[in-house]
Amino acid sequence: MIAALRAEFLKLRTTRLVAAMTVLAVAVTALIGVVEAVTAGTGKGMAIPSLATTGGLRDNLASTGFALLVAALLGVVITSGEFRLKTATDTYLDQPDRGRVMAAKAITAAAAGALLGTAAAATSAGIGLDFAAARGYPLALPDPAIARYTAGTVIGSALLAAAGAGAGSLIRQQTAAIIAVVAWGLVIELVVGATVTAVGPFLPYTAAAMLAGDTSGGGMPQIPRGVTALPYPATIAVLAAIAAALCTAAALTVTRSDIT
Amino acid sequence: MTVIEVRDLAKRFGQTLAVDGLSFMAGAGTVTGFLGPNGAGKTTTLRMLLGLVTPTSGQALIWGRPYRELGAMRRQVGAILEASGFHPGRTVADHLRVRCAAMSVAPSRITAVLAETGMAGLAGRRAGSLSLGERQRLGLAGALLGEPDVLILDEPANGLDPAGVLWMRGFLRRLGEQGRTVLVSSHILAEVAQFADCAIVIDRGRLISAGPVTELMKAARPAVTLRTPRAQDLRDALASEGAMVRAVAPDTLEVTGLSAGQIATTAAGLSIPIVEMNAGPGSLEDAFLRLTGTEGRPG
Repeated sequence: MIAALRAEFLKLRTTRLVAAMTVLAVAVTALIGVVEAVTAGTGKGMAIPSLATTGGLRDNLASTGFALLVAALLGVVITSGEFRLKTATDTYLDQPDRGRVMAAKAITAAAAGALLGTAAAATSAGIGLDFAAARGYPLALPDPAIARYTAGTVIGSALLAAAGAGAGSLIRQQTAAIIAVVAWGLVIELVVGATVTAVGPFLPYTAAAMLAGDTSGGGMPQIPRGVTALPYPATIAVLAAIAAALCTAAALTVTRSDIT
Repeated sequence: MTVIEVRDLAKRFGQTLAVDGLSFMAGAGTVTGFLGPNGAGKTTTLRMLLGLVTPTSGQALIWGRPYRELGAMRRQVGAILEASGFHPGRTVADHLRVRCAAMSVAPSRITAVLAETGMAGLAGRRAGSLSLGERQRLGLAGALLGEPDVLILDEPANGLDPAGVLWMRGFLRRLGEQGRTVLVSSHILAEVAQFADCAIVIDRGRLISAGPVTELMKAARPAVTLRTPRAQDLRDALASEGAMVRAVAPDTLEVTGLSAGQIATTAAGLSIPIVEMNAGPGSLEDAFLRLTGTEGRPG
């Protein structure tokens, strides 16, 4: 397992994938964060409440929603890329235990996702707190709450990246996997979660966004309306279970399939 | 001592039987050509041998064990199956570092294999910028990282220019001289004759012939090679007499099924000048086509 982990970490360190995805996540988070901060309290369109309010500051901190999706896509690219670039043959020649390879990929994807999440969380926190301070607002959220949302982005990104690694290995065709994950996060969860609100907290993207501070009807991107978040540790457990289930299914599938 | 053994191996993909009851062996220290037309089942067989494809039935063994069960001995087996299986953004050295990490091989081997494959100056180049020949060499370098006793190579000379083919031929010959067991698939048959001790010929997933290359050559019919400025006219005339005629060049024909005297008589009767004529043993291609029954069949 150590050899597999060492190889997978080295793969990530020797390409620009993680850096590029992190830059993308930070850029999107910054764009949404700034737009939200500038329009906060104006009541226009998708504008969030004033940064002087608990809801407004929380929504602004939760502008990492798209970054969470980028983390999931990072996981998808890490595994599906092996099939797209035909490097899977060498990978499974060098490490014939395919379950072990899948586990190593899930762990490295989670680590890369955490890195991406940290950068995104720092960006959203910096923007929200700076804008609030610049306007002379008192801090509307206690420090532990801010820390919890920030940690939620990091944990959510890590677990979504691991789940994405499972999805990418299951679907293999990279473009199809990317489209599936984006459609799942931005469309299917919205429809399913809004239709059956009890299911909402158990949907992966919704759960991760709620960890990061997102609430129903607030901020961008939207999560299903009417969904009540589970307690913080339970939400982490739900996300971890989804990631583990996807990665286990991927490991079983790749072990049984032919590498042609 | 048998190193590679394939026993009653079969693989079915849906309705297609890619490999059909194939059995053969390769002994220690031999270089074996694994021949067959496109779609014969060569790559599928090699992938089963390396544990990447699960056989429908039968066994593919190295040192008496499936590849996945070789444990640490796996490092003693090197393989190339994908000519372009590299991340284009990763450098040559980094690609080999990743493989060293996965195989638990000391990274100090990288310098040695790069030198061995003539890639020493390309360590910092990104794989995406390499030519096909350089990528084939990088594949070989990766296969040699574990200092393997057994090498399994799928069409390593495919797509190479003449200089690359020449280099690859010499390289494979050297591997054989070092006492390694090498199994090389190819459909460049003349190439295999240059470096292989033995040849295994398969077609449609079945074994056609197995034995020393010299034995395979005996299956070739005597052939006459001639040069004439009226190649098409002579070709038509000889074909009408039942000869097998192949245009080797615009003015050069290779004829089987007629003697040199018969060809000369036919040409003289039509006043077709023959500039040069040589009678000799047939080519490996001819032997291969006869064995596999692929004469006239599109590849």
